[in-house]
Amino acid sequence: MIDDIVPLASAQGRRRRTDRRFARHVRATAEAYALLAPSLIGFLLFLVAPIFGVAGLSLFDWNLMGAPSFVGLDNYRELAADPDAWRSLFNTVYYVLLNIPAQTVLALLLALALNRRLRGGRVFRVAFVLPWMAMPVALGIVWSWIFDPRHGVVNQVLGMVGIDGPNWLTDPAWAMPVIASVNVWQYTGYTMLILLAGLQAIPHQLYEAAAIDGTTPVQRFFMITLPLLRPSLFFVLVTNTIGSFQVFDTVFVMTQGGPGGATDVLNFHIYQQGFQLFRAGFASALAMVLFGLILLVTAAQFLYFRKRTVYDFS
Amino acid sequence: MKRTQLKRTQLKRSALYLALLMGAAVAVAPYLMTLNSALKEPSRVLTTPAWEPAFPATLGNFAKVWSEYDMAGFLLHSLVYAGAVTIGQVVFSTMAAYAFGRMSFPGRDALFWGYLATMMVPQIVTLVPLFLIMRELGLIDTYLGLILPTAFGTPYGIFLVRQYFRTIPRDLESAARIDGGGTWTVLTRVVLPLSRPILATLATITFITTWNTLLWPLIITNGDAVRVVTLGISALKGQYSSQYHLILAAAALALLPLVVIFLLFQRHIVRSIALTGLK
Repeated sequence: MIDDIVPLASAQGRRRRTDRRFARHVRATAEAYALLAPSLIGFLLFLVAPIFGVAGLSLFDWNLMGAPSFVGLDNYRELAADPDAWRSLFNTVYYVLLNIPAQTVLALLLALALNRRLRGGRVFRVAFVLPWMAMPVALGIVWSWIFDPRHGVVNQVLGMVGIDGPNWLTDPAWAMPVIASVNVWQYTGYTMLILLAGLQAIPHQLYEAAAIDGTTPVQRFFMITLPLLRPSLFFVLVTNTIGSFQVFDTVFVMTQGGPGGATDVLNFHIYQQGFQLFRAGFASALAMVLFGLILLVTAAQFLYFRKRTVYDFS
Repeated sequence: MKRTQLKRTQLKRSALYLALLMGAAVAVAPYLMTLNSALKEPSRVLTTPAWEPAFPATLGNFAKVWSEYDMAGFLLHSLVYAGAVTIGQVVFSTMAAYAFGRMSFPGRDALFWGYLATMMVPQIVTLVPLFLIMRELGLIDTYLGLILPTAFGTPYGIFLVRQYFRTIPRDLESAARIDGGGTWTVLTRVVLPLSRPILATLATITFITTWNTLLWPLIITNGDAVRVVTLGISALKGQYSSQYHLILAAAALALLPLVVIFLLFQRHIVRSIALTGLK
């Protein structure tokens, strides 16, 4: 930068200047890569290589011992005809559909409530975010206990109003909704925080102007709040959906995929196939399907939100 | 007229508070009931409702899980695992974030997009190959095997810190450079002292995430040598599913350290969660 303001008369000086600039460029690049080196090693070895690895493995039949044998697309053909694989796919989609809308709507309502300047707002915020950091395994234990048919809080409370509660986790119809509600409990506060930040970024004048024009609060919600909140909503929908497709811990602790496969989600199915039945190739093919599914859903959400204009008031 | 209107807004406000209070109660109740029940006499855990206060309170359940199972071992292994990953993540993510956020070099943008793209890859996708790599390196059932995949920083961590670094005024750096400071000096003397909040956040989030991780330890360890607390208590649950006094005490032991960490750093965490959504 200093070079730029020093006037240089001769060609020799100019050459020296370019040389120096080049040397500095090389030095800066070397420094940057030196800073990046550790992270780059981790990135290439433990993230990029395994991603290519799984694509390759999905074309093999291998029990993790001995020599893998190349089978081409056989694993994919097999899983297309496998009712268990399809069931785990449907279970995963069912879980996401139970979890995401409930969590997003609840979080939005909470964020709207906290967006009014309330006394104790900070305490509420912290209380709502607390579940977000709970260990899913410990939570699985706690919620198994809460939904225990005889000793659990839920059925005790239902009993007080004369309702005979079901055997939540051993009832195929209820097990998945229970797992989903645990997740709603855990992540609603986190989602609420992001939406709240989005709400707080909406300029106040817009509401005042709209109020002067005689709009009702409901109109203002649909005409101002929702359109301007779209980027935040997009962010939470995409990240939470990606997360939900990967549910594992609660299933592992609470139901082990049961009863009768009712909570056998893709992640759990992949784990069982790969690490309990040692079908590395088949598990890899399943993993590729999950990956493809997530890419597809993410792309769909991306296109949907991009098509709808985001207003710019700046 | 005015009075009824005032009354109406007051009523609405009270209803809002009531709804929020109920929400907050639902959010914290599982923690409180777990701790409460873990403090009860074993016979009373199943015979009294969860909300009935533990009186007389006893530490017997905690003492029992502590002495009969290797709770101290589980907690220690988790502490080493989460601690090492956290240190690695903070140091290496910071270095990478500085390169990505404050330096220009050939390949920067392509690399950065590559990092971001991998944030969409589900963890389970990389699991089988990662296991094979670790087996090849002879790291099954070792701390290194547990720690290595995330110790060099994660795309998420790098992204979080990079976004923060970009908000630091360039003038501060230029001043240090004119005084003859190199990149390392600028990073450690100028940028890092200004970045304490984001580094505290990254450290806390990484610690919490690693402490809570089940899937990778489940796959990379198979013995007691480095059994972490998630594995320890899920095994307990399998063996003693009806002995709630014991598994609840174990759950409380796994949850409590995090609650303390969270409450200490909640200001940073709450702000940074909001930040990650804004971008």
